[in-house]
Amino acid sequence: MERRRFLGLTLGAAAISLAPVSVIAKNYRKELPDVWKIKNKEDENDLTGTNEAIKAIFGTDKTEEGKITLKAPDIAESGAQVPVSFKIDKANRIALFQTANPEALVAIWDIPERGIPDYALRIKMAKTGIVTVVAEVDGKLYRASKVVKVTAGGCGG
Amino acid sequence: MGKIKIKAKEKEEGIVSVIALLKHPMLTYDQAKKKGKEPNFIVYIEAKSNGDVVYEASTSQFLSKNPLIKFKYKGKKGEELELSWVDLKGNTESKKVKVKG
Repeated sequence: MERRRFLGLTLGAAAISLAPVSVIAKNYRKELPDVWKIKNKEDENDLTGTNEAIKAIFGTDKTEEGKITLKAPDIAESGAQVPVSFKIDKANRIALFQTANPEALVAIWDIPERGIPDYALRIKMAKTGIVTVVAEVDGKLYRASKVVKVTAGGCGG
Repeated sequence: MGKIKIKAKEKEEGIVSVIALLKHPMLTYDQAKKKGKEPNFIVYIEAKSNGDVVYEASTSQFLSKNPLIKFKYKGKKGEELELSWVDLKGNTESKKVKVKG
């Protein structure tokens, strides 16, 4: 009796401690510490840094156009607060890059089961540059890019 | 003033729209150098509802100061939503709200 109860308790505890594993989030700062250090080239039209970072995150930089709706202003008066939004029907993972700052990567999202990839945020851009969003959908990569003209840089002050 | 402001609303049926303002200086390496301060910025943002992660972002110094984020997830009014962040120095903040209808 005693032993059965103990076993029951142990199993119960094991089930509880296992449950959160599936929902444990992935912190890409810890998982992929080096991708955040990938530098942009001096030339803001050069996508080398963006492509390198895409490869480091997704394993390849072979992407297709389409599926993603990316919105960003044509001209940003202040590079300190550039609104960027993107939307896709479904995705497993999304990452955002730009060519305006010293490093290319801005953020990585894992899309949880209940997540709807219709996201927006404000980013800093030190100068004019190309904003790129890449979404991984069932093993395929899709890309959307947009040039944002910055009239006053956002990383100076 | 709290460090996190959240508006969460079930705008379309079964879909919760969230706008969150996270108070943080988001000091980049370059800005910190100029100001003689240490760089610090939010590196991870997570939102949970009923124990499920519904949003998660690993972030860099290039989010704006006091980042404003918007996202959607499958959920309902009345549910609890908890949003939390961690910065480079390991500071954390979190806030719980009830989803409005």
